[in-house]
Amino acid sequence: MKLRKVYFALSWLVVLSMILAACQTSATEAPTATKSPEAVDAPAATEPPVAATEPPMQTTRHGGWLDEIDISVVAGDSAISQLQAGTIDFFSFNLASDVYPAIKEAGLSSTQSLGGYYGISLNPAVFTDTKVLNPFSNRKIREALNWLIDRNYINQEIFAGGSLPKLLPITTQLVEYTNLIATARALESKYAYNVEKAKEIIDAEMPAMGAVLGEDGKWQFNGEPVTLTFLIRSDGDGTRQPIGDYVSNQLESVGLTVDRQYKTSSEAFPIWLGTAGADGQWHMYTAGYGVSGLGSLRDESGNLQQSYLNTSTQAGEPYISNVSDPEFQKLGDDLAQGKYSSKEERDAMMARGLELALEDSLFVWVIDQQVYAPYNNNAQVTFDLATGPESTNVGPYNLRFVGQEGGTMKVGTNDLFTQPWNTIGGSNWIWDANVHRATSMGASSVTGGGGLMADPYTGLAYPQRIASAELTYKEGLPINQNLNWLTVTTAPQVDVPEDAWVDWDAKEQRFITAAEKFPDGLTSNIKSVVTYPVDLFDTVKWHDGSPISVGDFVMSMIQGFDPGKPDSAIYDESLALSINATLVSFKGYRITSTDPLTIESYTDTYLSDAELNITPLWPQSPYGLSGENSWQVLAISNLAEAAGELAYTSDKADGAEIENTSWVGGPSLEILAKYLDQAAGESYIPYEPTLGQYITREEADLRYSNFKKWYEEHGHFWVGTGPYYLDKVFPTEKSLVLKNNSDFVDLADRWSEFSEPKRATTVLDGPGQVKVGDEAVFDVSVSFKDEPYLQSDIRGVRYILYDATGAVVTVGDADAIGDGQYQVTLGAEITSKLTTGSARLEVAVVPIPVAIPSFTSFDFVAIP
Amino acid sequence: MAVVTNPPAENVVVKKAGYGGTFMRVSRYVASRFLTLFITVVIGIYLTIVIANMGGYVDEIIKGEIRDRITQAFIADPAVQQMDPEVRKKLMQEKIALEEKRRGLDTPIAIRNARYLSNALRLDLGRSINLTSDAGSKQVRLIILERLPATLLLMGTSQLFLFFSSIFIALSLSRSYGSIWDKVVVALSPTSAVPPWFYGIFLILIFAAALKILPFGGMVDSPPPANTFDYAVNVLKHLALPGLSLVLSSFFISVYNYRTFFLIYSSEDYVDMAKAKGLTSRNIERAYILRPTLPTIITNFSLLIIGLWTGALFTETVFLWPGLGRTLFQAIGQYDIPIIVGSTIIYAYLLSITVFLLDFVYVLVDPRVKIGG
Repeated sequence: MKLRKVYFALSWLVVLSMILAACQTSATEAPTATKSPEAVDAPAATEPPVAATEPPMQTTRHGGWLDEIDISVVAGDSAISQLQAGTIDFFSFNLASDVYPAIKEAGLSSTQSLGGYYGISLNPAVFTDTKVLNPFSNRKIREALNWLIDRNYINQEIFAGGSLPKLLPITTQLVEYTNLIATARALESKYAYNVEKAKEIIDAEMPAMGAVLGEDGKWQFNGEPVTLTFLIRSDGDGTRQPIGDYVSNQLESVGLTVDRQYKTSSEAFPIWLGTAGADGQWHMYTAGYGVSGLGSLRDESGNLQQSYLNTSTQAGEPYISNVSDPEFQKLGDDLAQGKYSSKEERDAMMARGLELALEDSLFVWVIDQQVYAPYNNNAQVTFDLATGPESTNVGPYNLRFVGQEGGTMKVGTNDLFTQPWNTIGGSNWIWDANVHRATSMGASSVTGGGGLMADPYTGLAYPQRIASAELTYKEGLPINQNLNWLTVTTAPQVDVPEDAWVDWDAKEQRFITAAEKFPDGLTSNIKSVVTYPVDLFDTVKWHDGSPISVGDFVMSMIQGFDPGKPDSAIYDESLALSINATLVSFKGYRITSTDPLTIESYTDTYLSDAELNITPLWPQSPYGLSGENSWQVLAISNLAEAAGELAYTSDKADGAEIENTSWVGGPSLEILAKYLDQAAGESYIPYEPTLGQYITREEADLRYSNFKKWYEEHGHFWVGTGPYYLDKVFPTEKSLVLKNNSDFVDLADRWSEFSEPKRATTVLDGPGQVKVGDEAVFDVSVSFKDEPYLQSDIRGVRYILYDATGAVVTVGDADAIGDGQYQVTLGAEITSKLTTGSARLEVAVVPIPVAIPSFTSFDFVAIP
Repeated sequence: MAVVTNPPAENVVVKKAGYGGTFMRVSRYVASRFLTLFITVVIGIYLTIVIANMGGYVDEIIKGEIRDRITQAFIADPAVQQMDPEVRKKLMQEKIALEEKRRGLDTPIAIRNARYLSNALRLDLGRSINLTSDAGSKQVRLIILERLPATLLLMGTSQLFLFFSSIFIALSLSRSYGSIWDKVVVALSPTSAVPPWFYGIFLILIFAAALKILPFGGMVDSPPPANTFDYAVNVLKHLALPGLSLVLSSFFISVYNYRTFFLIYSSEDYVDMAKAKGLTSRNIERAYILRPTLPTIITNFSLLIIGLWTGALFTETVFLWPGLGRTLFQAIGQYDIPIIVGSTIIYAYLLSITVFLLDFVYVLVDPRVKIGG
C-alpha cells in the first residue's frame, strides 16, 4: 500500500514537471516566416557585436594588456555554460550561427565573422550512359535552381537567422560586394525566390532534352523517373544535411526524383572529386568552403575562374567537365590573370562576370555563414571580420578586461598542439597559430612580414616595425593605393640590380646574385623598399633577452631557400616543391643598409592593394606559417636535422622515421638541448660563409647562453618578440600559459584604434507616399554608437530604388549634407519610372574603417 | 559489467587425470593452447586491418582528402593564382603524388596489410599517419604511452570500485533476497541501458554548470598546479564526474548480475546442508558460496583489468579526458590504421595471455580442475 502511494506521488511529480517544461518559454525564437519573393532583404541579418570597449586612455604599460593568458582546450558544446560558470572568460574558437540565440540568451558578448560558405555543386557532364539523363548538363536548368531555392528560409530555419543568404560567387557584404553593390543587389532582386519561374524553365527545358512528364507529375526519361543522385554531407556542423533535404524537397516539388545519399566527407569526396562527371555517379553535392583572412578577400576577381571554369586552379571534376559560355570563359580567365588596365575596367568585367556566373551556375550558392566566438561582457576582444579572433594578428594586443590593466584571462579553444610546433613545417592549425601570434611581432598573414600589422576590419596593413616603405610597380598593373604611409611609384620597367640575391648555393653556402643567374638582366613586376627604425636592434628583443640582429633577418632568408636544394644538409623534398614554386615569381632580395636596416624585395606576384605588396621581411616563418624564428633556434634545429635526428616537416620525418621537430615538447627537446650545448661549445655560426658577415662570435655566445637559460627556466624553445611570451607548456593537459612581455617595444594601447569595428548604423526616413512624376527627398542618418559617422570616414552612400515587382529602377549616390547626414533626392524623371503601388528605397553606406557596408531600406507607396 | 559464467576452458578437464607424465601433459596442453591463441590473434589482427581500411576503400577516401586539401592550399596562395596554368597543374600533381607517397598509397594494399600485420605481431607499432602525441611525436608507442596513465587512472578507479562494490553489495543482497534494497536494485537495473557518456552530460550540467563545484572536463586545471599534492587533488576533482558516470551507468546491472549469480549458488543443496549443520552465515559465504564462484569472479576480474586498456571512447571524449579511448576515437575518424592496429594488438596479446594464464589459475583455486589430459 505504502509503495503504491510512493508510485502515485512519483507519477504526479513526473506529470507536473512535464507540464512545467511545456509551459517554459522557448529558448530560441520562433522561426520567422519566409519573405515574399520580391522582397530583397538587407543581408545584415544580425546586429553588430555588442562588445564592451574601453575608452582611449593613456598607459605606460608595455606589451599586452593582460598579465597572463591561460589557454586550455574546452569542448565547444560547453563553451557557453563554462562562460556562465566563470571557468573561462573567452572562448576563442568560432561557433556556428545556430548557437547565436543561445549566446544572446546567456547575456554574453560575441565576435561575428565569416565562417565559410555553402553551395550546391552540380555535375555539368552529359553522362556516358545515354539511358540516364543529367538535367544539369543544361545551363538553363542549373540557373533555374537559383529561383527554386529560398535562401532566406534556409538562413532562418537552419542558421537561426544568424548567417547571410548567398547568391553570388563573392562574399556577401564584403569589399568586393560593396564595390559591385548595384550589380549585386540587382542580381539578388532578379534571382529572388520564385518557384513558379523555376518550374516554368524546367518545364520548358526538360522536354527538349527528351524527358516527359508522367501522369504522377514526375519527369521521366526512357521510361524511368529522372532521378538525381544527391550527395548530402551528414558530418561537419550538421547544417549541410538540412540544406540538402530542403533542396531535395524543392526539386521533388517540380517533378524531379531525388536519391538522397547521406555521406561523410570521407565517403563523398571519392565520388564528388574522384569520379569523372560523365560516369554519372552523382548529380549534386552539398559543398562547403572556408575563408582565409580579410586581406585575401579584398580582391575576389579570381573566384569566377576558380568556381566555374575548366581552367580552375582546382583542375579536376566537376570543373573540367563544364563547358562555359565563351564570353564567361574569357572574362573569368582574364580576371584571374589580371588582364585589365584599370579598376573601372576590372569592376565592369566583374559586374558582367557575376551575371554570367549565375547563368552558368556550376555552383548554386546558398549561405555565407556567420560564426560567433562568445566572451564575457567584462572582456574586450578584437577580431578579424572574415575569420574571427583566432586569426587576428592584432587580437592578442587588444585582448583585455574592460577598464583594467593586468589580470589573468582564461581562454578556451577547440584544441592545442595538434601538430609539432616549428615555423618551417610545423603546426598551422588555427588554435596553435593564435598562440604563435601572441608571441610574435604583428605578423601579417597576407604580407608575410612582421613589420606590418593587418587591419582586422579592412584587410589592409599598417606599419608596425618599419620606418618607411616605397613601392614601385610596373606600369599598367591594376594596383591601387589606399593609405598614405607608403610611397607608390610606377615605372615602365622594374630592373633587378645585379647584386640582388636571387637564389642560394647550398654547397658554398652563399647567395647567388642576379648577375650570376641572369647575366642578361632581370626585371620584375614589383619592387618594395622597406627601411626599419634606426633603433630596431636596440629596442626589439627576443623573449630570452637577446637583441634582434641582422643575422636573424638573413637566416630567415637562407632558411627560405636551403631546404629546397639537394646539396643542402637539410634538404627536404616537400619543402623543395614549395621553394621551387616560389622561385617562379621571386626575383630577389637586396640589403642596401644595415644601419638603419633597409631591404629591397623584387617579385612578380602582386595584389591589387598597394599596401599588401610591401614585403616587410622579418625573422619569421619563410613558409607562411605563424611564429617567429631567431637564428639560433633555426641553427640548432638544422644541426639536429642534418644529423638525421629530427625533421621540420612531417613528410620528411615520416619518410626517415624520425621525430618531427617540436620546439615546445616531446622527444625533440632533448635532442635540441644536446645540439644547443654543442653549438654553445663551438660558438657555432650557421652558414658561416654568409652569416659570418652579420653574426659575431660574441653575439653567438650571448645568444646560446640566453637560450640555454630560457630552456632551463621554461622547458621549451619557443621564443618570439611579441607582446606575450610562452611561459609554460602542458602538452598532455592541453593547456599553456602566456605572460606579458614587459620588455616589448610598444605600449599596450598601440593598436587601441582597432578595439572594435566601427560598423555604421543607418537610418533612412522620408515620405510614406510619393506621387509618380514628383520629386521626393529622403534623409539618411549614419552613426556609430549614437555619434554621427564622420564624413571623412565614409567612402560613399549608394541608393537603389526598387519598384513594386522588386526590379531595380535606378541606382545612384546620396548627397553628403554633413557628418553622418546624407540625402537621397529622387528626381521627377526617376519617380516617373515607378509603377503605382509599393516601392522600396535601399541605401548602402560604405565606411572606410570597416569593410562591411551598412544597409537599410524604406518602403513607400507610389501613387498616381 | 557482465558476469562471465561460462565453464572453464574446454581443454580443462574436471577431476580425472589423463595418462602419461604430468610434464608431458602440461607441455602438450601449453603448446596447443599457445598455437591456438596465436592463430586467433593473427586472424583477429588481420581482420582489424582489413576492416580499418575498409578492404582498400580507405585509399580512395584518403586520396580524395589529399587532393581537396592541397587544392584548397593552392587556391589560398596568390602566387599560385598568377602562375601559368600548366606549371600550376604540374606543381599540384607533384604535391599530391608526394603526399600519397608519404601516406604509403603508392604501395599495393596487400603488401601494406601484410606489413601492418607482421609489424604488429612483432609489437613494432611504427608511426601514426596523422595523429601526433601531445608532445609532438608520431611514434604509436609514445602516443599510447602518453595516454595510458590517464586511461588507467579513469578506468582503473571506476572499474575497480565498480567491481568490488558490486560483489560486496551483491553478496549482501543475496542474503536478504526480497528486501526493499533488493527490489530497488532490481528496479533500477534497467538504468544501465543508458550509456556512461549520457550520464556524463547530466552530471556536467548538475555539478559543473549549475552547482559549479566540479570542473566541466579535462584532467587538470589550466594551468596545472605546480605542487604535486595540489596536482593530485586537482586530478581527483576532475576524475570525479567521468568516474562517477562510468560507475553509475553499470552499477545497478552489475550488482543485479552478481546478486543473481550468488543467489543461484546460495540455493545449492550443499549450502542448505551447511545451513542445516548450523554454520555461521559468514562461513557459508566464504566456503560454500564464494569458493565455488571464485573461477568466475577471477575471470571477470582479469577481463576487467585488461579491459582498462581500451579506455572509454565516448566518455573520454565528452569529458575531454586525455586517455586512450579518445585517441582511438580520433584515430578511427582519421583512418589512422597504425594506431588502431597498435591498440588492438596490445589488447589481443593481453587477452590471449590472460586466457592462457586463467587456465592455470583455475587449477589453483578449484581442486576439481586439472590441466590438459
